[in-house]
This record gives sequence, C-alpha cells and structure tokens, in this order.
Amino acid sequence: MDINKALESKIHLKIATFFHENQASIDTPRGVATWIGEDRNKVKAALEDLVLLKVLIAHRATSTTGYSYTRDEKLISRIDKLLKRPA
Amino acid sequence: MDETKDRIYREELFDRLKKSISLKREEECIGCLIKPTLWWVIERPSPKISELERLVGGSCPYLKKAQARKKATCVKSIFEVIRKATETKKLVKFDCIEGLRGFVYPITQGEKLYGYIGTCYTKKDVSIEVLNIFSAFTDTVVREIQKELELSKLYDMIRPRAIALSTVHTVHRLISSTLDLAELLPRIARLSLQIMRANRCSIKLVDSKKQVLLPKTTVDLRKKKIRLKKVKVGEWAPGKAVKFGRPIRGENYLATPLIDEDVIGVITLYDKIDGKPFSAFDQEIMATLAEQAVIAIKNAQLYKEQERLTMGTIKSLSAVLDRRAPGAYVPRASFAKITIAIGQMMHLDIDTLRVLEYASILHDAGEIVVPDEVLSKPSKLTGKEYEIVKEHPSIGVEIIKHIKALKSVTPIILYHHENYDGTGYPKGLKKDQIPLGARIMAVVSAFEAMITKRPYRTVRSIDDAIEEVRRNSGTQFDPKVVDVFLKALKRRDIRAMLEKELYGHK
Repeated sequence: MDINKALESKIHLKIATFFHENQASIDTPRGVATWIGEDRNKVKAALEDLVLLKVLIAHRATSTTGYSYTRDEKLISRIDKLLKRPA
Repeated sequence: MDETKDRIYREELFDRLKKSISLKREEECIGCLIKPTLWWVIERPSPKISELERLVGGSCPYLKKAQARKKATCVKSIFEVIRKATETKKLVKFDCIEGLRGFVYPITQGEKLYGYIGTCYTKKDVSIEVLNIFSAFTDTVVREIQKELELSKLYDMIRPRAIALSTVHTVHRLISSTLDLAELLPRIARLSLQIMRANRCSIKLVDSKKQVLLPKTTVDLRKKKIRLKKVKVGEWAPGKAVKFGRPIRGENYLATPLIDEDVIGVITLYDKIDGKPFSAFDQEIMATLAEQAVIAIKNAQLYKEQERLTMGTIKSLSAVLDRRAPGAYVPRASFAKITIAIGQMMHLDIDTLRVLEYASILHDAGEIVVPDEVLSKPSKLTGKEYEIVKEHPSIGVEIIKHIKALKSVTPIILYHHENYDGTGYPKGLKKDQIPLGARIMAVVSAFEAMITKRPYRTVRSIDDAIEEVRRNSGTQFDPKVVDVFLKALKRRDIRAMLEKELYGHK
C-alpha cells in the first residue's frame, strides 16, 4: 500500500490529518481514536499501516505504544498536498 | 479581547448572520408585512457616511433617481438614526423621505455593539407588534450565533491544550514502563525531540560532589557521531539551568532542569526542525515533561539501588555457601551467563531473565543445612543421608522467602531437581508441570555439578558434560531447553568465559 492509496481510507485520512495538524502530539491508539471519533481497534490497525508507510513513528513500550508524526519534511509536504486535494 | 481578535469575531458573526437561514426566513416574513422594503446590514459599530451612502444609496430606487442634495439629506438622517440606536442600544423607527419609513436594529452582546440591521423604503407603517416580533426573533438568532461562536472559540482554545495534555499522559506511560536507566534516558530524549520538533536533545545528570553535569545521553537526528561533554554547573545553558533551577531559553536552545528535592539534571533541546525559535509554550510543555521525567528517573535509580542491594544479599549468601564444600570452586559468573543466554534465546522478558540470574546463584542455598560430613562425603550416601540432601530445595525456599524481591525465584529453587519424566524430587512433577525457569535451572545446575570439583565425583570435561546433558534430553531434562542449551554452549563468548573460569584455577 502506498500513501495515496492509504489516504483513500477514511480512518487513515483522519489519522493523517490529526497528526498533520498536531505535529507535536504523541498518543496511544485509544487517544487517537477519541480525537478522531473512530473505533479503537480499527484505529490501531490503521496506525500500524501508517507506521509501515513511515507517516508515523511508533514508540513501543511494554505497557503501550505511542504514535507520533514523521519528521521527514519532504514526506510532510507530500502529505500536506494529499490532504489539500479535492475529495 | 484585543482589536484583531475583536475584528475577526465581528467578521465571523456577520458572516454567519448573513448565511443564517432563520434570519432569511424572518426577512421574508417581515418583508411580506411591510413590503416593499430595502434591507441592509452594517458590519461595524461606527459606520462612515460614505459607507452608508454606498449601501443605501446604491440600492434605494428612490435615491438612485434623486438629486445629490436629497441623497445626502437622506443618508445623513439615517446616520443620525444609527447614532440614536447606538446610544439606546434599542430598535429605532424613523420616517424615510417622501412618506416612506424604516428602522435600525443594533446588534449587541452585553454592552458591546457589533453593527446594525436596517430597513428603509417601507411604504406601510411598521406596527409596534411587528417590530417586537422582529426584535425578539433577531435577538434569538444573534444570540444563537454568538453562542456558536463562543463554543467554537472555546473548542479552538481547549482542543490543543487537551491534545498536549494527552501527549504528556502518553509520555508518562511510555517512560514509566521501564526501570532501566540505560533505556529510559534515550527514550526521554527521543520523546522530547518528537514533542518539541527539535533536532538534538541531550540529558545530563548532576554529580553534586564535583559540581559537574555528566552527559548521559544525546540524540542528534542529523549526526551519527556524538560527543558527550561534561559541563560545569553554572556554565552554558544546561549548567545555568541547573544552577538557577529554572529553564534557560534561547533562540535555538531550551534547557529545562530536572527538579526533585534538588536539581538532579537537565534536558537540553537544540534547533527546531522548522528553524523557528523555542517559544514560551515549548518551555511550558518541557517543564511538564521534565516533571514526569524526574519521577521516572528517580524510580529507575531507586530500582537500581534496590537491585544492587538484592544482588549484594544474594552474593553474601552465595559466599557462605561456597565455604561449605571445601575444594569446590563454582564459577558462578559463567553459569549465570549460560542461564541468561538460554532465557534470552527462549525470548523470556527482562524480569524473568533477572529472576533466572538470581536463581543461578541461589539454587542450592538450601545445602547450608546439609551437614558438612554429608556434603563432603566421598562415598555413596546412605538412604537417610540422601533424604537430607533431597530436602535442600525446600530449605532453600525457607531461607529466601523473607526477601520479598526474591519471591519469583522460589519456584525455580523448589523444583530445579524435578526431572522431565517425573522421576525427580521433591514432588515428582512432569514436563510442563515443572516451571520453565526450573527446567532451565535443572539443565544448568546438572552441567555445573558435572564440570566443577565435588568430593563425591570426579570432574568431567566440558564436552563430556555436554554429551551427558544431550543423553538425558527427554528423560531428566526438557528437550527444548537442552536444544537451546547446546546452542548457547556453542557461543564463543560463553565457551571462553567458562574455560577461563574453570581452567584458569587449575
């Protein structure tokens, strides 16, 4: 799956938008699910997809995993364009 | 509210007001009663005459044809009405020229005036009842919009703070999940970099005796090689943050002290990735993060101290045990290494590995009550003597049960003489009934007994002992553990350590 394809999914798009708008945020699947108003399990799977695409960084610990936004400026600019494209 | 915010709020208010379907319907209804009517909206509290001229003059059918003088008189009179509405903050009726009428309704919130809705060119006289309905309805619509705006303003203000709070909570969970300082400090540094969107983070801890900051970790996302530098208290941003006990912020750095009862260290961030300077908000967030970090660092330090104490206790016990069997040398370090290597290769977690390490030293602690003559008897033990020896696992448990930190070690000590086929002691447990740690310890302790000097047995070579373990796989020992043990013994580091400890003392 590439980023273009991933962001066609509503949940993936909402997660990417959330982190793009809150680039300093680090949150758990539960937290992200609350912010975007989606099911936690679906969000968890989508977060891992976005980690594979390097859109997100996973901070794994024994008790939980925190997710944060990429630091790659080129990728951020590409996502910015994708988020601004007409629906 | 400052001027810019006030302007933005007013613009938003009128934008929503103009889009309001409720207000449009009201205009239509009232318009039916008083038509033909010219409606206009003035989007500021103090309009200029020229603005009014454009607004009214441009759309009034009468004024379009009227002479300039008449036009000016009309606009001026409306201007006066607006002034009156401004003073009273109430709807004001007025007579338009040539027997026409109109009214001006001020849009307010408390004492604040935002603009006006007005009508003119109304042929019918507007009854007081209609005006009351208009006032009440418009007021309701305006209040609704104002509430929406307040809510949205509140949302815009609270949401970023709530997200920041959630981030701090997540960071707290992530850093509290480890008690290993070597893992904790780089994790704090990486999380700080992520939150601050900075390029470099360094954590230094205070060496209070030497008045110096010792570099513990530095993460730089641009460089691969990093130099760790000591800094004197009071020097540079980190040293100043420690000396004064408050954050030191510059354009491209932010040093935040880690304050417990005293200052225990400092987290310093450098160079934001967007090139912007560190802000007061950044400082606030880092102060909160530093509070979390201090708790996690102190916990890790306490845990390390407790671990050191536990290990000291275990080593003291072990030293006493070693003196019980004269002539026997037990190379404990290499056995601990073999035990941990087996655990690592079986993917056991760090806590279980630690328990295995303790058990590798203490598994025969119960031998302390076995009489010297039995322990060092070179010939075969009598039945009674063997019964005494068989009690050593449960006595070992009795000895350590009062040390809370060793609670998890007890099943390993108790069952490390159980055999995989159920022929062992004390309970004759079989296969998976025997705890995994005890199955591992059974292999390692048997191997240990074969290759170290014992009064009742001749010492075997390492390879002989390995072969004996292999032979008893599936009967005395768990075959899975034996497989891993054999792999571990092929490791060069383990083999070298074992040989050095065994034959270095010959």
